[in-house]
Amino acid sequence: MPDTVELRGIHKTYDRFVAVDHLSFNIREGSVYGLLGPNGAGKTSTIRMMIGINIPDEGEVWLFGEKFHREQLQRIGYLPEERGLYKRMKVLDHLIFLGRLHGMSTAEAQRRSLDWCERLQLSEWTQKKVEELSKGMQQKIQFIAALLHDPDLMILDEPFSGLDPANAVMLKDVMLELKKAGKTILFSTHRMDQVERLCESICLIDHGRSILEGDLKKIKASYGKNTVQMQYEGNPPFDRCELIQSVNNYGNYVEVRLKPGADSQELLHMASQHARISRFELVEPSLEEIFIDVVGQNA
Amino acid sequence: MHNTWLIVRREYLERIRSKAFIIMTMLMPVFMASTILIPAMLSGMKSGGTRRIVLVANNPDVAEAVKQQLIAPQQISDKSPPTKAEPGASKSAEQAPRYAITIDTNTTDAERTALRQQITDGKIDGFLWLTDNDLASPKVVYNAKDVTDFGESIELRNAVQTALTKRQLAQKGMSGAEVEDLLKPIDLDSIRIEKGKEGASGISVFLVSFTMVMLLYVNMLVYGFAVMRSIIEEKSSRILEVLLSSVTSKQLLAGKIIGVGAVGLTQTIIWLLVALAFSLPGLMSSRSIMSNVQIPMAGIVAFAVFFILGYFLYATMYAALGSMVNSDQEAQQVQWPAMLPIIFSIVLSTPVLQHPNSPLAFWTSMVPFYAPILMFVRVMVETPPAWQIIVCVALMLLTTWGLLGLSSRIYRVGILMYGKRPTLPELRRWLKYSG
Repeated sequence: MPDTVELRGIHKTYDRFVAVDHLSFNIREGSVYGLLGPNGAGKTSTIRMMIGINIPDEGEVWLFGEKFHREQLQRIGYLPEERGLYKRMKVLDHLIFLGRLHGMSTAEAQRRSLDWCERLQLSEWTQKKVEELSKGMQQKIQFIAALLHDPDLMILDEPFSGLDPANAVMLKDVMLELKKAGKTILFSTHRMDQVERLCESICLIDHGRSILEGDLKKIKASYGKNTVQMQYEGNPPFDRCELIQSVNNYGNYVEVRLKPGADSQELLHMASQHARISRFELVEPSLEEIFIDVVGQNA
Repeated sequence: MHNTWLIVRREYLERIRSKAFIIMTMLMPVFMASTILIPAMLSGMKSGGTRRIVLVANNPDVAEAVKQQLIAPQQISDKSPPTKAEPGASKSAEQAPRYAITIDTNTTDAERTALRQQITDGKIDGFLWLTDNDLASPKVVYNAKDVTDFGESIELRNAVQTALTKRQLAQKGMSGAEVEDLLKPIDLDSIRIEKGKEGASGISVFLVSFTMVMLLYVNMLVYGFAVMRSIIEEKSSRILEVLLSSVTSKQLLAGKIIGVGAVGLTQTIIWLLVALAFSLPGLMSSRSIMSNVQIPMAGIVAFAVFFILGYFLYATMYAALGSMVNSDQEAQQVQWPAMLPIIFSIVLSTPVLQHPNSPLAFWTSMVPFYAPILMFVRVMVETPPAWQIIVCVALMLLTTWGLLGLSSRIYRVGILMYGKRPTLPELRRWLKYSG
């Protein structure tokens, strides 16, 4: 079975600024894939080239086993980070308009819009103008617009930004449902906790280059259990300890990466002299730690 | 094609349903009617009602003759029937007389001073000094509180002139009827000759041309700017990237320009129908100004052609400008490259109207940016040779084609660029991006 997305060394330069630098990765059908990277790393540029908004200077984009062509867009749902709606249009008219642009008939677009609005608790708003809706509601409308035509590939750029927890859970449930139905989801964000819970594979890019790519579990395992999560009260001198490679201190919670070969028991001993320890656990590094580590090295 | 059609459809329906469109469509005919009718009504009314004037002359016969001339009903308005455009004129003639005349035979300097005092006191409006010496010179002095009403000065001068001519002709032995016949005012009616046949009269051609030029002007300015605003709205509402995931920027631009243009066309057709409905009663009665309005067929075709070509030319320019900016305020700052030529062509339309065959008219009407208005004016006033129209239309098509290419490149890059406005070198680089 061909991969849903296959990027073959795509490259894009604006003036002298390299936005995407010979980037390659594959997304397996039916998987949730995380595209990560700091702001300005080239995530949005990469996505734009995947769906033909921009054309790569070099390299090729293959979707569903074929070289990119515009008819494939009918099988893709895109929720961009820079997103919006026509403020003065009625919600239902707007959804039908966007559905028809994806090749649906008016009747079908209307039926599916009403179904989705009911599902996301927006039924009473379908005849209102967009500008009368709250930010969160508008965002759910945009989410519906992206999946209205039942796409095989969904590209979601920061889908949870600006949503309250209840709505975020609602969206996450829908995403997992789509995944179960065999849809492929590309999820772009810099929120590591979400990626860690949702994605199977990731690609971490920085300055337009892929710096870490592959199966999330394998990546984490390769770092080994060399990370200590510690809950404490007091003031241990983490920054002066020679056992530690890097530290991410929150005040009464800390994540510590040990130097290769360092013994975690020595760290516990040192810390207990300066603070009361309520929790001490040796774990795989969190994705956030890996992110900071890799991006830090790269810079 | 399907996508472009969907964009056109949305753009058209959303605009037609908007309050702004409905209000503008209804108010414009009212505004146009009032700009044409109100000045006509005002000039018909003549400010100040009856003017009290003293005629000072040592010869009472002279004074009496001038008086008769002034209070006699206006012969011109007798002849031509009251017209729609000046309903006020006939009304005021029925009401108070224009002049109340007193004759004074005291021509001393003391009397002059006394009369001046009366003007200051507001007892009279003015006096006319008509001594034999003055009439022989021939220089007549009119004293009044306000002498800026040129219409009144001309009326007084004509009255004195006619009265004196009549007296002298009578003295030379002509009968009263002969004199009247000789001095009968002539009505000059200029009638346009087209292909050897009499066409519409000068005044009606002017009125119709003026209205149509205004429609061209309003359409290019208002709907060109609407294209610009619509692009900015899509940029600032951030919907563009959503749209671009299913349509190309070319389809989007084409759909927008066609959709907004269709709205402008709808509005103009509504206005023309309203104008037609109002002039129909006029067409029935042969006495109306509008009765001899026969718009030359070439004029109607030219209006349609220049309406559409002019819109596309300017909409394309406005689209390029709109894709460079992010807010309406910025739009105000950058819209001048599109706005100036439109306004300039209105300024040039007067000399072109007066001398449609002058080199100025020829060369300016060949410039694609001025052509929509100036070539149209020339067609209306005196149809230029066919080759000129063909070259002019061809130039406009070429220019629009070129601008469209340029615009769609700027648009493609500009719509995804937020933040500061591009500088000229940046703009040049935008044109080179592959996509």
